[in-house]
Amino acid sequence: MLDKNEKLLVLFSMCEISTKKQELLIEQLEEFSIDGLFKENVSLEILNREEYHKLCDIYDKQRFEMSLENMEKSNIKIITIFSSNYPERLRFLEDRPLILYAKGDLSLLDKLSIAIVGTRMPSNYGKIVTEKFAGDLANNGFVIISGLCYGVDAIAHRKTLDVGGKTIAVVGSGFQNIYPATNTSLANEIAQKGLLLSEYYPSFKPKRYTFPRRNRIVAGLSDGVLIPEAGLKSGTIHTKDFALEYGKDVFAIPGNISSTKSDLPNVLIKSAQAECTLSADDIIKYYGVEKEAKKERFLSLNMDEQVIVNLLTQGEKDFDYLAEKSKIPVNILNSCLTTLEIRGLIRKLPGKNFALV
Amino acid sequence: MLSKVVSFGLTGIEGFLTTIETDIVGGVPHFEIVGLGDVAVKEAKDRVKSAIRNSGFEYPVKHYTINLAPADIKKEGPFYDLGLAIGILSASEQIKTKKYKDFVFLGELSLDGSIKKVKGVLPILISARNLGYTKFVLPKENEEEARYIEGMQIYAFSHLKDCVAFLNDEIDHPILPVETRSFEEVSKSSINKLDFENVKGQASAKRALEIAAAGGHNVLMIGPPGSGKSMLAKCFSGILPDLTFEEALEVTKVHSIAGELDLKKGIITERPFRTPHHTATTISMTGGGNHAKPGEISLAHNGVLYLDEFPEYSRHLIETLRQPLEDGVITVARAKQTITYPSSFTLIASMNPCPCGNYGSKDRECNCSPSQIHKYLSKISGPIMDRIDIHVEVDNISYSDLNKESKEECSAEIKKRVDKAREIQLKRFKSSKTFSNSKMSVPQTKKYCQLSVECQKLMEQAFTSLKLSARAHDRILRVARTIADLEGEENILPQHIAEAISYRGLDRKYWSI
Repeated sequence: MLDKNEKLLVLFSMCEISTKKQELLIEQLEEFSIDGLFKENVSLEILNREEYHKLCDIYDKQRFEMSLENMEKSNIKIITIFSSNYPERLRFLEDRPLILYAKGDLSLLDKLSIAIVGTRMPSNYGKIVTEKFAGDLANNGFVIISGLCYGVDAIAHRKTLDVGGKTIAVVGSGFQNIYPATNTSLANEIAQKGLLLSEYYPSFKPKRYTFPRRNRIVAGLSDGVLIPEAGLKSGTIHTKDFALEYGKDVFAIPGNISSTKSDLPNVLIKSAQAECTLSADDIIKYYGVEKEAKKERFLSLNMDEQVIVNLLTQGEKDFDYLAEKSKIPVNILNSCLTTLEIRGLIRKLPGKNFALV
Repeated sequence: MLSKVVSFGLTGIEGFLTTIETDIVGGVPHFEIVGLGDVAVKEAKDRVKSAIRNSGFEYPVKHYTINLAPADIKKEGPFYDLGLAIGILSASEQIKTKKYKDFVFLGELSLDGSIKKVKGVLPILISARNLGYTKFVLPKENEEEARYIEGMQIYAFSHLKDCVAFLNDEIDHPILPVETRSFEEVSKSSINKLDFENVKGQASAKRALEIAAAGGHNVLMIGPPGSGKSMLAKCFSGILPDLTFEEALEVTKVHSIAGELDLKKGIITERPFRTPHHTATTISMTGGGNHAKPGEISLAHNGVLYLDEFPEYSRHLIETLRQPLEDGVITVARAKQTITYPSSFTLIASMNPCPCGNYGSKDRECNCSPSQIHKYLSKISGPIMDRIDIHVEVDNISYSDLNKESKEECSAEIKKRVDKAREIQLKRFKSSKTFSNSKMSVPQTKKYCQLSVECQKLMEQAFTSLKLSARAHDRILRVARTIADLEGEENILPQHIAEAISYRGLDRKYWSI
């Protein structure tokens, strides 16, 4: 059961009262009951009139208890600053969230974790490195944290789940309004196999400011932040800033200097704000984790397949290039590529491009 | 006096027998056509009157009653002008012999008595043949169209005067009937189409189109603007198997009704290639309207319907393609009548991967947001996607490729392989109504696409690791069957399955995120 203060926090988050005001209110209301809140002289000092009226409107004892019950029914756990399972990593941050709604496995909060964040529109290169890093890190026991957005976020979550790893998604909206809506099924899967986290009340609709706010939790929960691809105006900058402020490690994957999508990681490496990272091994070594034995992947290829793999070691290639260089008839090439893909050795990308995984 | 003249009318693509009964009696001068004629039929009165006078015949001032039997079918168009004139002339005893009773008359009259062409002669001829009518009097202009049906005696005239002279046996040297012509000869003499020889690179797209032609599969091409999607589509009709005579007749029927037939040639010998613009209305695609006309999808019957910029077509229009794609016919129901037009075509659609067109392109950057791309790609509904077997990606080719001297395979070579694969299919489906692998029913798919243990394992792996959607399953089997046919294999082998899977791009998730 929630105690009085915890209930108050739920109420505040329902009314969208800012974290700062929440903290002040909690301090002031230490000795009052919930009803004390509605004695104007107490709360009006902190809340403006609008917020106060909203609070009064929403607060109806019976309804409030009902909504608490509903949350419990849909397996939403409430973690507040007063509860024992509040993540220690967040507790001492200056603008810590006072309340978190969670769905899934809470034990992940204390594990070694890397946040993978970046652009919503990764290039083919960005997609491949994100997948590779997420897969390798997850295989080595890292929990992968991200923000469940398009692009890098979604790829990191997806890949982690695919290799059977653990992932935490911190969303910038309530659980009932996952943004972007296309990721709702991904969110459900994460809630079952990993952990879904939000500081917003379940029916809360995402606002512009909630996404940067969400980034502070992503940075705060992780041991390090990895940036595969992001532009200079990307929201990823917030995550990076929070990470540096909280004293976390920032890792960046260098990219093509002519691609605007690699600008942020390249600049961070240049200005020594981030560690230049060339493979997941760099991160694994950095944290001193015992490495999983690498499996030999390119065994038992037939001749055509070997030729294709050799061509692809030079980088991403398109179908026509492969057909011309390998001299393999188109129909055989098509079937070889599919077979290689099924075996997880290569990956098909939009525009009939292929790359080694 | 009373006379009866035989003529034909048209509903949908079928002709129906119409008897023109003309009764002339004395009394108050009057002229009435009964029997559910439309405006063109009612107006025939004035055309016929002038045509008779201007051809040097007499138009007696009497009481005319003309009945178009059967009286319960609506009659449209100017088919009956000639029949009406002949009826009046024989009822007024200006045509003396009874020879006219052997003939079917079709034709529109001009005021000076010349006989003008009418639409839909071929379908009428075919219906008339089935009813046992073999002798026809037709406008000279429609002569070619009538040449291909065996056992018909066609007499073609360009003026009412000549026609009457013929019926009165007044012409010195007898008019010879129009001779029938063999279809093979005409079709051989056809035309130079765009050739795959002229398309550089694009190996995978060419291969996909070859498979599509061999199995009658529908194709969706995805690629940035300027990558040659339209060019590829235009070359496609060149590798399709030749029209057989029966198919050509069906195609010509539809085109004849729509008035789109080349009257010099008379028959359509190539598979039609229709490219309606994306602003087309639904009616113009499906057919119908007040005076029912076949739409674009029927004009593409036995040929190719090419829809460029597929998502730009209205949603409603794309959804109306569902029934024709499944059944090969379109039934248009209107208050007055319900008409069924044939519409068995191969659909080739092309689209950009995103609103700006550059998503997935090697050398150009895409500026679209993920949600825009998602929206754009999901404009094509699942049920339609379900009916398109092959998705193929087409990318820009580089300048160096464009100027390369390498020899590309020509359409004739590809066509040989396609023909061979079609032969195998015809043999396979001999006893059923199916013509191609793409139209296999579910039980047929089960029967003809049996998989070895190895193939089944591959399918299973593919579904789990590539995240294929369930609807892809049967599509993959059908395409794999065609690939096996192209190679002359009795059984489907794993490499056929693997290649077929590579044509299910949009079922896969790699486009999104």
